[in-house]
Amino acid sequence: MKMSPNSGIKPMRISLLRLAVLALCSPLARGDPLQHEFLLMPSAQAVGTFDRQAPVTEVVDQVVQADMLFSLQKGPLRLFGEYLLSDHEGDLERFQLGWQMSQDTVIWFGRYHQPTSVWNHEHHHGQYLSTSITRPAMDEWEDLGGILPQHFTGTLIESSNPALGDWRLRWALGAGIAPRITPDGLEPFDLVHPDSRRRQIGYQARASLHPGEFTETGFGVFAASDELPTIGLATAPIPNLDHVDLKLLGGFGAYASNDWKVLATVYHASTRLIAPLTTRSDSFAVGYVEIERRFAGDFTAFARWEDSANGSDAAYLQLFPAFFRTKHLGGVRWDFLQRQALTLQLTDSHTLKGRFTDVRVQWSAAFF
Amino acid sequence: MRRHLLIAVVLLLGLLATARPASQTVVLVVRWDSAVTTLDSVSVRKLFLGVPVLVNGTPLHPVRNRSDTLLDEVFLQQIVAMSQSAYDRQILIGVNRQGWLRPTELASTPRVLDALYGDPNAISFMWLRDVAHEPRIRVVRVLWSD
Repeated sequence: MKMSPNSGIKPMRISLLRLAVLALCSPLARGDPLQHEFLLMPSAQAVGTFDRQAPVTEVVDQVVQADMLFSLQKGPLRLFGEYLLSDHEGDLERFQLGWQMSQDTVIWFGRYHQPTSVWNHEHHHGQYLSTSITRPAMDEWEDLGGILPQHFTGTLIESSNPALGDWRLRWALGAGIAPRITPDGLEPFDLVHPDSRRRQIGYQARASLHPGEFTETGFGVFAASDELPTIGLATAPIPNLDHVDLKLLGGFGAYASNDWKVLATVYHASTRLIAPLTTRSDSFAVGYVEIERRFAGDFTAFARWEDSANGSDAAYLQLFPAFFRTKHLGGVRWDFLQRQALTLQLTDSHTLKGRFTDVRVQWSAAFF
Repeated sequence: MRRHLLIAVVLLLGLLATARPASQTVVLVVRWDSAVTTLDSVSVRKLFLGVPVLVNGTPLHPVRNRSDTLLDEVFLQQIVAMSQSAYDRQILIGVNRQGWLRPTELASTPRVLDALYGDPNAISFMWLRDVAHEPRIRVVRVLWSD
């Protein structure tokens, strides 16, 4: 088959699918029936902004979306994917071929959500599983103005092992093709429309301790090192910006009981903007605390405080004009029928160039 | 006198046996040739929460027996130790994060038995009385007894 010059990566896409099919038919999986799972998580939200003084808000007035998850399993092999279809986009968000190496360890190949984002690793794209409507700004997806890379294509290992008596040590290691910086923000590697121009590898690690096998309560640390090449930037914080070296260090803590849930995360980011003749180094910190309280009648009240330090001075953040310096939000969620919820949320946001307030209403659900 | 006492004891035991039949026992069951010989309670809980549990490198296939409401209560209270809504949420989280498969849910004992007959990696739970005369089914352990 003859390829056009611009389709140099197409064989990679075909190879990945072929690899998945071959793996599911391999001797490793022989003798076990093919099993499958499908989960649909639709949602619809309306947003109104007021008291608006920021030139850019990156707020879309209404969003209707369907998050679709599928899983195929044969023996210790699993093919897992997440496709998000909305009135704004259609993206293969995750596509992973996994091998269950042991009861506690799985190794994935493909496109994954990087494990240093505690929020995204817990909720992914499905709105129903998130109590608040929006995610913390530091964990926002790349195509919605996110400042940190979230989607990588490569290898991810996840494990959970006994430690300190009844406690569990959960850890994850990832290495994959990192997003690049474009005039529209970060752009991860797309498996459906692959383009390998100016791509580099990023690395992530996370480790956390939990007092039990099934609890969300725990605390942990994480680190990441990414090289983010630029492509097509007309304006940049330094002339002829070639790439950014981004190093992340952080920690998180979570407490979850029947009535209460508290999650706090902080990142420290060191950035080095590199051009042929000059470099510029900066650092900034971002973090959030979210508190949720369940009440009778399936009502849950929630509040989140997000803040940053040195955000105004960091040259790297000038690449993301809609970055939220601080954000305060609160709301209430009502779960009704089977796996359906209505949520009302009020947010006060301060970007690097102004502030605004928004109110959101969302319906979300999960169907098997 | 001793004879009367013996008759009374036998009658009393008979009455107790009627009031508390042996069938009020829930057991973990597999096909007779399954590789599963033993499974601790933590592994059983993991299994029915959708977490992969491997035996000889192959994942087991949990089958949730929903043939009656009392069995459902035993499942929630004794096996997974959570409410139905919390269980629902755990299953959703597993599918969302890892692509774990939900346990198959079957609403009648014959269908559960059929699932076990057809799959050596299938594992389920049922009343002891329903499997006592099933030569193709093996009891792994007692999960609950009143």
